Amino acid sequence: MPTLTIDNLSVTIPDGSTIFEAAAQLGIVVPHFCYHHALGAVGACRMCAVTVVEGKMPGLKMSCMTPAEEGMVVETDTAQAMEFREHVGEWLMTNHPHDCPVCDEGGECQLQEMTISSGHGVRNYRGNKRTYQNQDLGPFIAQEMNRCIQCYRCARTYQDYCGGRDFGPMGSRQRVFFGRFTDGMLESDFSGNIVDVCPTGVLTDKTFRFKTRLWDLQQAPSICPHCSLGCATVPGGRYREIQRVVSGVNVQTNGHFICDRGRFGSSYVNHPKRPRQARVDGTNVPVAQALNRLRDKIAGVIAEHGPGAVAFVGSGRASLEANWLLKQWARSLKCPAPVFELHPRRGRAIRQAVGPLSSHLASLRQVRKSDLVLVIGADPLNEAPMLALALRQAVREGGRIVVLDPRPVDLPCVFEHHPLTQEQILCLLAGRCETGLLNNLLSELMTARRPVLVGGSDLLGGVGLQLLGHLTESCDNDDRYCLIHPLLPRVNSFGGGLLEDAPQEDLLERLENGRIKALVCLESDPGSEHPEAGRMQLALSRLDYLAVFDCLPTHATRRADLLLPTATTVEGDGVYINNEGRMQAFSAALQPGIPIAAVTAGQHPPREFMPETPGSQPQPAWQMLQDLLGERHSVTALRRAMEQSEPRLEGMSRLQPGDEGIKVAPQDPEPVEESTVEIWSQDGDLRLLPVQSCYGSEVASSLSQTVTPRLVTPRLMVHPQEAQQRHLQEGEDVTLKTAHGLFRLRLFCDERMATRRAIVPCLPGTPLEIFVPGGLSLPCDIEGGAS
Amino acid sequence: MKQTEQLLFKNRRPGETAFLKEYEGSGGYLGLKKAVREMTPKEVCELVKASGLRGRGGAGFPTGVKWSFFPAENPGPKYLVCNCDEMEPGTYKDGELLKADPHQLVEGMIIAAYAMQIDTGYIFIRYAYKEQFAYLERAIVEATEAGYLGKDILGSGFGFELHVHGSAGRYILGEETALLNGLEGKRPNPRSKPPFPAVRGLFGRPTTVNNVETLANIQHIVNGGAVWFKDLALTVEGAGTKLYGLSGHLEQTACFELPVGISLRELIDDYGGGVWQGRAFKSCLPGGASTPFLTADNLDVALDYQTLEAVGSRFGTAGVTVFDDRTCMVAVTLNLIRFFARESCGWCTPCRDGLPLVVWLLEKIERGQGTDDDLQMLKAQHRNICGNSFCALAEGAMGPVDGLLSNFEQEVVDHIQKGRCPFTA
Amino acid sequence: MMELLTAEQLDKFTVQVAGLEHPRELIIDLLRSVQDNHGWVPDEGVALVAKILGLTPLEVEEVATFYDKIFRQPVGRYPIHICDSICCWSRGGDALATHLREHLGIDFGETTADGLFTLLPSCCLGACGRAPAIMVGQNTYGPLTTDDADRIVDALRQEAQG
Repeated sequence: MPTLTIDNLSVTIPDGSTIFEAAAQLGIVVPHFCYHHALGAVGACRMCAVTVVEGKMPGLKMSCMTPAEEGMVVETDTAQAMEFREHVGEWLMTNHPHDCPVCDEGGECQLQEMTISSGHGVRNYRGNKRTYQNQDLGPFIAQEMNRCIQCYRCARTYQDYCGGRDFGPMGSRQRVFFGRFTDGMLESDFSGNIVDVCPTGVLTDKTFRFKTRLWDLQQAPSICPHCSLGCATVPGGRYREIQRVVSGVNVQTNGHFICDRGRFGSSYVNHPKRPRQARVDGTNVPVAQALNRLRDKIAGVIAEHGPGAVAFVGSGRASLEANWLLKQWARSLKCPAPVFELHPRRGRAIRQAVGPLSSHLASLRQVRKSDLVLVIGADPLNEAPMLALALRQAVREGGRIVVLDPRPVDLPCVFEHHPLTQEQILCLLAGRCETGLLNNLLSELMTARRPVLVGGSDLLGGVGLQLLGHLTESCDNDDRYCLIHPLLPRVNSFGGGLLEDAPQEDLLERLENGRIKALVCLESDPGSEHPEAGRMQLALSRLDYLAVFDCLPTHATRRADLLLPTATTVEGDGVYINNEGRMQAFSAALQPGIPIAAVTAGQHPPREFMPETPGSQPQPAWQMLQDLLGERHSVTALRRAMEQSEPRLEGMSRLQPGDEGIKVAPQDPEPVEESTVEIWSQDGDLRLLPVQSCYGSEVASSLSQTVTPRLVTPRLMVHPQEAQQRHLQEGEDVTLKTAHGLFRLRLFCDERMATRRAIVPCLPGTPLEIFVPGGLSLPCDIEGGAS
Repeated sequence: MKQTEQLLFKNRRPGETAFLKEYEGSGGYLGLKKAVREMTPKEVCELVKASGLRGRGGAGFPTGVKWSFFPAENPGPKYLVCNCDEMEPGTYKDGELLKADPHQLVEGMIIAAYAMQIDTGYIFIRYAYKEQFAYLERAIVEATEAGYLGKDILGSGFGFELHVHGSAGRYILGEETALLNGLEGKRPNPRSKPPFPAVRGLFGRPTTVNNVETLANIQHIVNGGAVWFKDLALTVEGAGTKLYGLSGHLEQTACFELPVGISLRELIDDYGGGVWQGRAFKSCLPGGASTPFLTADNLDVALDYQTLEAVGSRFGTAGVTVFDDRTCMVAVTLNLIRFFARESCGWCTPCRDGLPLVVWLLEKIERGQGTDDDLQMLKAQHRNICGNSFCALAEGAMGPVDGLLSNFEQEVVDHIQKGRCPFTA
Repeated sequence: MMELLTAEQLDKFTVQVAGLEHPRELIIDLLRSVQDNHGWVPDEGVALVAKILGLTPLEVEEVATFYDKIFRQPVGRYPIHICDSICCWSRGGDALATHLREHLGIDFGETTADGLFTLLPSCCLGACGRAPAIMVGQNTYGPLTTDDADRIVDALRQEAQG
């Protein structure tokens, strides 16, 4: 821990830190380009020069490359350092075009800031500027190479951090070009990060081009709603339209980067079919009127049929506040407590994560720092992409990754893959079948210093996660826990699970036996979330009354007798709890409203004047629920009340959007026993496994037009051996026969996947939407040709 | 004109190349035999250290000292890399040496590898040296067949294998860490130091990189001893002979093996045949394109490391390029800076963007459009690029600018005041 | 001339790659082989090298575009590298370059209409004692008068016809 002096201020920093980091700790920002917190120092730009006045090697030094030493005296503003930095500014600007007024980076240009801070103001160079021909990097990233200052950040992010192999530096000297071998869409699922790290307007978000000058952009710290990892994001928009998402910084979760689904998959907020108005029996009404009607209607059902006739469904999409208020409302009406996960098997998995596993939960940061990660029943790139990136960082630091999963898992790093079926994995975890592999892995886990088990709840279910829990405990030792990183279905699945008092009876059965007359759904869609989607839709059609709070157009919102439009994540405040039990707050970047572009057909200013903003009825669900309960507290007061009622939420009222979040207290060690309804072996030659696809499986990205170029088409995937046995050719159209019907699908073969399994992506809005992830494999058969 | 004992050019005959038979006939591989049979690796290192041999590739770091940093006892692969990228303008000595007597390098490398207990060697050779590449490949085959290379060299138990790697052009590959990246098949940008190659070099393993001429001297040191080798030099501090490659405005531009410490005047007059066309000496680059110019005042300087540093220049590679009195030093500097700007790898700002700015300034001055402000700007560029680039390339590029400003500033002023280059009609 | 790699070369490299811990070290050898066969390295050549080494085309392109003696654009059968570094410059390199440009009727970077010659400026060829020098393919010539240069060009033309 050396102590040194920088600009007459004393600072003590950890061993191995640089002068740059020491200065940053003092709040002194040394101008820089190539240094980036997540990428480290490479000494390329030379902008961060400072003068070492006293030290082993005095003189002008690059602060990012020079280790801080005990007793060192550093000055950042000597004439020598200032003159040099001014020259770096001059050199960098010799080729940079003077197009700031029309540059997409204007308003958040680090080059502008650092050039000013370097002191370079007058251009003496009058020669030609180097120019490039740009490439088409696809629908997400725009390239304007003339602006490039060759800081190499994009290549270091794309290749080193993210593991992409189709974008990098070419050429040399003053003609270094950052791009692809040929024009085309960047292949990495993390490509958008090069936009965030580019210090100037070379790489910009093409989906955001020409929409808003950055000083007009409305932004707020938020949480990505697409999966359970809860990555920090900063959505931005204007004219009531979400226009872009950039990465937030949370060193505990995503670090500095996000995946392309989180970045480009947010245009669902602008979806033209989004519920914008409260509706009662087919008629648009003001929200207050709909709330009154709902209150009366529920009271009426209770009066007639008793409190057991009303069921409430919360969800892993809704905020913790809204779910909690729903629970309060149910309680005040003496109705059964809400169900927070409609998929019973997924619900059991969530219960394990929230309960018995809660003392062993690992953050993404701990995954990045792990020396051994066993990924069991998870396909990170498709289910939680930032986990894949965390695994890459573990490998870069010397860690090892072993994956047990039936899918043809891809990761942006080296890993060992055992393509076992779901049942084989469960058997293995239960110690019921061939134990050689398990024993090998166990002995590795015992000796690993920072082991983490990743468990996919969709494949493993409650039983699998419970078994994983036993495994971690048996690998704990006096120095460390063996940690677990469960992937859960949705952004706030953990929050829903935490509010659940006791396991609920399956909603479908309650609906089918007619006990339930009225159903209230909070940002949930039983018809697409329950594993028996067809039966569920039928049961819903027999309901007396369906009330739905939602921000997305779903089966339920279309069918609802009463509809209340809610705000999306980017339009309200709230808290989500991620898969490792971290409570994180998000705040509103935009007010709800129909985008001006949609209202005025692109004309501006609007030609029609209205007393209120069109489409501005949506409110955060928790506000409407407070109204129903007859209370209107501030969000802080609400969170305090929640802390009182749920001790595990301690700290919730101190959360600030954009902070690291607070982990919920682990549950008292009181094991939740699972019924062993899982099936350990399956009959039949071939079974079907519906799985999540990165783009389009979860509802938000399926409604986001922007990610269309990345969507997979409905398809059927098998091991080549299965195709061969059935005399089928890759690429031909085949018929998939299941209990849910026949499906014509293109056949894909992948020898990395398990045999005896057929895999289909779950894709809402396509014929495959009948399949919901999270279940056990289903009997199926494949036939060639037309059927 | 004294006759210098020829070590490196002993077998040099016009248009001929000495292969194994001739090489052995002239005492070749005796040094290797002596080293592996009579000396411990450590003794070889100590001997080289005592000989005072300094790296002949330009930087002049004491070879024995460099070797002593090498973790010879580390298990696992270790590499010896010979740098034959030789692309600094004015430097062609290694090419001449390999054309004449390629086995010298092979033998030197085997002894060096023995001294550092290295199992694998690479000779990294520039694209243009097609013949030398072929000669080396033949020499390696011959040496392998003769038992000088391979698993158990001369029954010593020591094994060494040697490969030749042909490059594809670019001066930056001469920088040792860029060369290592190039050998690995990566973009040859220099690496940051530390870690030094001795710690993390080729493929992340301990590596020593030496120049051709440096390595070719090793067997002579082993044969003749440290004292003998040191005494070959004419200066007290110096050691050995040196290959001087003459070029520029001389009557004879050839490469000679002469003692370290010979005077510039003797080199030019006795070996270069004097300045061409009867003209007067104006200036020279004493050791390649990156060494600051000398003037007529320096003609009696002894060509050695310390003596040249004392007059503000460097010994470099001892490729001496002479300019006559009709030469415009602004134009010379411009030519040199253009070379460096074009050969920049593009990694750090002072080199990638700073050198082209200096080119622009010098072009302007040479065209007669320069101003006093431009001269001040040139000085500021020189002051700020020096010592502040990622590797030594931009630093080297400032050598000629340094020489121009310290010795020929008046010539720059003349350009500005006359509004034209005084050397053009 | 058109083949990227001969069957023997392909076999040789495939065997070599299999035996190497770091196959990437062969990247320049492969690119140079493709260039020797084909005259320059077309996109397909980059893709082939990538395939042999288990790299992406971009990863090969990053390296290929760094070196100035790897041609990623078509060049004539005889690429002429004219040294423009200090030693050749001091002994008439500029005049030689001007002469060759006039004699061949092309500028630097251009190829003669018959597809025989491409003129390229080059840094020091290591022939400083033989200045001014040029390199045709990988053969270096110097010192050259303008007449010498013409004779070399004429001889190559004859070689191409014969």
